[in-house]
Amino acid sequence: MTGEVILRAQGLTRHFGGEGDLVARGLMRLGLAKPRPVVRAVEEVSFDLHRGEVLGVVGESGCGKSTLGRMVAGLLPPSAGRLDLPGGVATGRGAGAAGQGGGAGTANGTGPTDADTQDRGAALPMQMIFQDPYASLNPRKRVRDLIGEAPRVHRIAKPGEIGTYVQDMMERCGIDPGYRDRFAHEFSGGQRQRIGIARALAVTPEILVCDEAVSALDVSIQAQILNLFMDLRDEFGLTYLFISHDLAVIEHIADRVLVMYLGRVVESGPTEALFSDPAHPYTRSLIEGVPRLDRRRKVFAPIEGDIPSPLDPPSGCAFHPRCPLAVARCVSEPPALRDMGQGRLAACHLAGAPSQTDATDTEGETAWPATPTG
Amino acid sequence: MAPVLDLKALNTGFFTAAGEIPALRDVSFSLGRGEILGLVGESGSGKSLTGFSITRLIAAPGRVTGGEVLLHGQDLLRLGPEAMRRVRGAKVAMIFQDPMMTLNPVLRIGTQIRDALLAHERLGRAEVRARAIAALDQVGIPSPEARLKAYPHQLSGGMRQRVAIAIALLHAPDLVIADEPTTALDVTIQGQILALVQRLCRERGTALIWISHDLSVVAGLADRIAVMYAGRIVEIGAVDDLLDDPAHPYTQGLIASVPTPGRRQARLAQIPGRMPALTDLPPGCAFAPRCPRAQAACEAMPAMTPAGEGRMARCLYPLTGGAA
Ligand SMILES: Nc1ncnc2c1ncn2[C@@H]1O[C@H](COP(=O)(O)OP(=O)(O)OP(=O)(O)O)[C@@H](O)[C@H]1O
Ligand SMILES: Nc1ncnc2c1ncn2[C@@H]1O[C@H](COP(=O)(O)OP(=O)(O)OP(=O)(O)O)[C@@H](O)[C@H]1O
Ligand code: SF4
Ligand code: SF4
Ligand SMILES: [Mg+2]
Ligand SMILES: [Mg+2]
Repeated sequence: MTGEVILRAQGLTRHFGGEGDLVARGLMRLGLAKPRPVVRAVEEVSFDLHRGEVLGVVGESGCGKSTLGRMVAGLLPPSAGRLDLPGGVATGRGAGAAGQGGGAGTANGTGPTDADTQDRGAALPMQMIFQDPYASLNPRKRVRDLIGEAPRVHRIAKPGEIGTYVQDMMERCGIDPGYRDRFAHEFSGGQRQRIGIARALAVTPEILVCDEAVSALDVSIQAQILNLFMDLRDEFGLTYLFISHDLAVIEHIADRVLVMYLGRVVESGPTEALFSDPAHPYTRSLIEGVPRLDRRRKVFAPIEGDIPSPLDPPSGCAFHPRCPLAVARCVSEPPALRDMGQGRLAACHLAGAPSQTDATDTEGETAWPATPTG
Repeated sequence: MAPVLDLKALNTGFFTAAGEIPALRDVSFSLGRGEILGLVGESGSGKSLTGFSITRLIAAPGRVTGGEVLLHGQDLLRLGPEAMRRVRGAKVAMIFQDPMMTLNPVLRIGTQIRDALLAHERLGRAEVRARAIAALDQVGIPSPEARLKAYPHQLSGGMRQRVAIAIALLHAPDLVIADEPTTALDVTIQGQILALVQRLCRERGTALIWISHDLSVVAGLADRIAVMYAGRIVEIGAVDDLLDDPAHPYTQGLIASVPTPGRRQARLAQIPGRMPALTDLPPGCAFAPRCPRAQAACEAMPAMTPAGEGRMARCLYPLTGGAA
């Protein structure tokens, strides 16, 4: 069960492009470069993360999931907004240890930095697990070093006990400790993902940011890794920000869900309520469109239209060009993220409180789905 | 009615210094007009190779070493290169996960459609243009006339896949083989492509082999499902029969490992271990090292045996519809 708030994001925002770095600005001033358009990757995202919960993040490609995850993990500084760790969790250098080879990620990790954690024998509070376990593991290192290096540097385990510490981590993540002298490329995708997880856990984080951590795996291996995540939560009280484009995975693992569209949260709430009675038309279309084992020979009635470009977001409600329920107001006026009660939020002019939604449903039965195929 | 495709005991191997790698063994199924077969299995099980073997697009050191690929009764494996070229594209078409396997990055969309049309038909300029516009229109590309001038990189991933589908369907083929064409796409765009392919195949009676590692996608699309494991089909049957009452322990394991609504946060069933490498197959049933029902007899290769109405399974101790 979930506990106190351990991470609070308020108005987290990240833009790319525009002014650019020093060199780009210099070139622009000399007339040698044009200003790059601004990509509003993440706009004013706020949420609380409670100890021991799995907060799922879903949305289409480019909606800002990874950018949000990287900010939360401390790998990318926000353009605006703040991240607080009210539970007194030591803020640290974020996920460098589990990132690409340990260095690249931390270079720009100027997020919530607390210089002296680097030298204390302290846990790193946040770790990130990536989609491609191969890319994130240095192929020239043996498993025992991949897992053991960070805890040694951060003095989480005593020098003489590193060996047993690594073996313990491997066992917990379902990797035979007999393989500790092998290189990452000698393992299958599922095993590499386990190594990545063992490596992240070795610095005793409190929060794991998982970015498409099971998306590249075959379903039988995916099941093994999802089970492992659930076990680790029970065992260590871990908290997860779990990013996936796969609704079935999110529905399975998350306690609460954030649905993102073009950089913004359009709906959030407890998983069961959100999936059984989505308040936002986008969430509703996503859920109705997702292939499921029990949907046989279905007539697919997908969301029409392409994903809009974040360089040129639509006016008003960003979903309006694809929304089956859009009204004139949606074109001009962006909807605010409103409280729907029962821990739910939705950004849609037409979304009512959950009870009112029921009422509209019975009246306007034919209004949905409003976009038949073809 | 005679089947469109009748695949009989197809064998494909890769010939290396260390000997032949048995990539496909005894792959058999048939497909009627307008029928959709979902071909599923985990990575490396031989799904794509089955498609490439049918269209004879396997590159050295790979080679089809046995069996028959009967298209309307004619064995494609016996056709000469020129005759095979005429079949490919006109009677059998493929759609790939990466639409750039179909599209040329440096040619305009209109040029590519024209070339594809003229490869199999004699048409005048005006006809070519009209056919190209109609082809783009029917796959839901907005303002198709303007798009004829576009290069592939000017289109989104979903749009590129639509163009690839339009090209595949230009000559109204009898059989389309779609190799994971939605795997790289977003859920919403995947839904659009599924709807499109489903509608076009149903309207024209095109037989479709839809290759996917995702059982849920196939459940929504296919009439029948074939499950592959380590180069062989291990079960084939009607969608409902196979998903509701699987006969092969591997099929059952696959189904149980899919997250299902209503069982939130319950432990997922997991198949222990992983698929063996083709160079390291056990002597008998390839699933035996992972199979909860395995017995000594499984050390001999089980044959495909009937497991109920319209269903076959390669298992000595099937979960349903056995000898009884
Ligand atoms: N370093 C960067 N520079 C410029 N633009 C970026 C950068 N990183 C991300 N973006 C842009 O920000 C937007 C959000 O990207 P992000 O990777 O967060 O999306 P995502 O939801 O994770 O997508 P996917 O599902 O494809 O992984 C995209 O439009 C992307 O092109
Ligand atoms: N050139 C080659 N030499 C040796 N083996 C090969 C070669 N090409 C493919 N194979 C083997 O053939 C097997 C079948 O590959 P195939 O691409 O058909 O798998 P698949 O089921 O489509 O997998 P995926 O889901 O990853 O696409 C694989 O185990 C692969 O290792
Ligand atoms: S605000 Fe309007 S366009 Fe946006 S989701 Fe609601 S109904 Fe649709
Ligand atoms: S033949 Fe034996 S090992 Fe193979 S699936 Fe059947 S019971 Fe399992
Ligand atoms: Mg991402
Ligand atoms: Mg393949």
